[in-house]
Amino acid sequence: MTSMGSTSFEITINLIKLVLVFLMMVQAVPILVWLERRGSAFIQNRFGPNRVGPLGLLQLLADAVKFLTKEDFAPEKGNRFMFYAAPVFALIPAAIAYMAVPMSVPLKLDGHTFLIQGFEINVGIVFILGISSLAAYTILMAGWGSGSKFSLMGAMRASAQIISYELALGLSIVGVILLYGTFNLTEMVNMQQGPLTFSMFGYTVTSSYLPNWGIFYQPVGMILFFAATFAESNRLPFDLAEGEAELVAGFHTEYGGFKMLMFFIGEYGHMMIASGLMTTFFFGGYGIPGISFQEMHQIGLNLLGTETLASIFNTVVHFLSYNLKFAIFLWIFIHVRWTLPRFRYDQLMDLGWKTMLPWALANTMLTAVVIFAASYFTI
Amino acid sequence: MTADVFIFWFLAILTIVSALSVVLMTNPIYSALSLAMTMVSVAAIFVTLQAYFLAGVQLIVYAGAVMVLFVMVLMLFDLKNELQAFSRGKFTGAIKVGAVGILAGLIVGAVGSFIMAGKSGAPVTPEASTSADATKALSEHLFFNHVFGFEALGVLLLVIAVGTVALSRSKGGTHAKH
Repeated sequence: MTSMGSTSFEITINLIKLVLVFLMMVQAVPILVWLERRGSAFIQNRFGPNRVGPLGLLQLLADAVKFLTKEDFAPEKGNRFMFYAAPVFALIPAAIAYMAVPMSVPLKLDGHTFLIQGFEINVGIVFILGISSLAAYTILMAGWGSGSKFSLMGAMRASAQIISYELALGLSIVGVILLYGTFNLTEMVNMQQGPLTFSMFGYTVTSSYLPNWGIFYQPVGMILFFAATFAESNRLPFDLAEGEAELVAGFHTEYGGFKMLMFFIGEYGHMMIASGLMTTFFFGGYGIPGISFQEMHQIGLNLLGTETLASIFNTVVHFLSYNLKFAIFLWIFIHVRWTLPRFRYDQLMDLGWKTMLPWALANTMLTAVVIFAASYFTI
Repeated sequence: MTADVFIFWFLAILTIVSALSVVLMTNPIYSALSLAMTMVSVAAIFVTLQAYFLAGVQLIVYAGAVMVLFVMVLMLFDLKNELQAFSRGKFTGAIKVGAVGILAGLIVGAVGSFIMAGKSGAPVTPEASTSADATKALSEHLFFNHVFGFEALGVLLLVIAVGTVALSRSKGGTHAKH
């Protein structure tokens, strides 16, 4: 069930999972920061952090210690309560929304079924969109609580941008929802199993080598969704909130030390949600092309012998498959940041309202008409 | 005390406290943020009632879009704390007394009808249904039974949007030279 569970065992397991997914998210951030710094250095023909530890990996540890031991200061003119609450709130929407993304096939042990996701919710998409739309508050709270003009202007820009692109983001997913006929993310992943199959007007065309992934049905939706998630996570080319030349650093100008790190974790959390959703909607989720869940379970059974070990094998392999796709999208996020220049503000608004919104609307209507025609004229 | 009861009381108290602080806070920005908090906790109550779709829509539309705009506009003003939470005067006093009377009547009515229903028989238990069915049933209600009302509401919202644009652009709008 979708509730917290009926027995104390189920409730305990669910609580542990909540902590685990949160820790996974937080632990991924230092690695992403390292990737971002080394990656940007690679793109710009520099070295990047390479002195502390092997490949500069211990630089993260040094950074964490530095962040923790920095002086804790708050602006005098600001609102102390809001100023301290904002970074904490920045973590919450990203962490809760990431809980709903399914990461592997359910693990079956001793008659119990453990879902490899924080919690299963039947309207996963609506839930994730709803929770992540709350992120605008943290930016506004930070900007207003800092009591500085630069912070407030940065917060206004960032939140106006997030609200504008939320429309295009929501509409670009409607085509996907129409296509699969469900809000449930796990069911979507299950529907993307097997080879690519189009059935229309009574004919069925099956591809021999392409997987049945959402990108082949919704290419326009995929591009719109990916572009809108860049704007939602406030990253280049949409990081108008951080126009250094005119706004210093946007809404977190007055923040330092660990408080700023928490905003960072929130931003990377939004990147992770975006990558997880891209994987789930358009790239088959945790599925592996050319091999089904049952076949993988059978391979595990042949290799390891017992049913329990085969189930663990199945879960681990699909978990790795999910994380591979997930990492590819995270790398695209980082690569785009160091490749494209920033938009001007009016260009940003034009792109959101005059380009992406009409395209998303047209995509929705076209998908609806095609799905109706395909189901109506078969008989 | 089971987990369900605990979650219900936690959410109920959270909702009521944040709803009260909308009225009692003297700073308008705190009031607006408390209203957002109220909406989030109402959405959480929808989740415990297994109305997942409604909970999501409540979050996206009210908490995520409408209240963010409110907070944004409020933060642009240079607002000071009000000296007192309630205004004074005979006319507003009469309105306050009337509002308190209506609230008391509502509470008495709700408690009374609850007691009467308790006497008349077993409490009404909704049929067990999965949330996917609930979403489907909701859409069937909206688009089959109430399609004309739904379309009329859509036209009304469009009229409001066009009217707002027309008002803001008349006499040069925000760039008018007085």
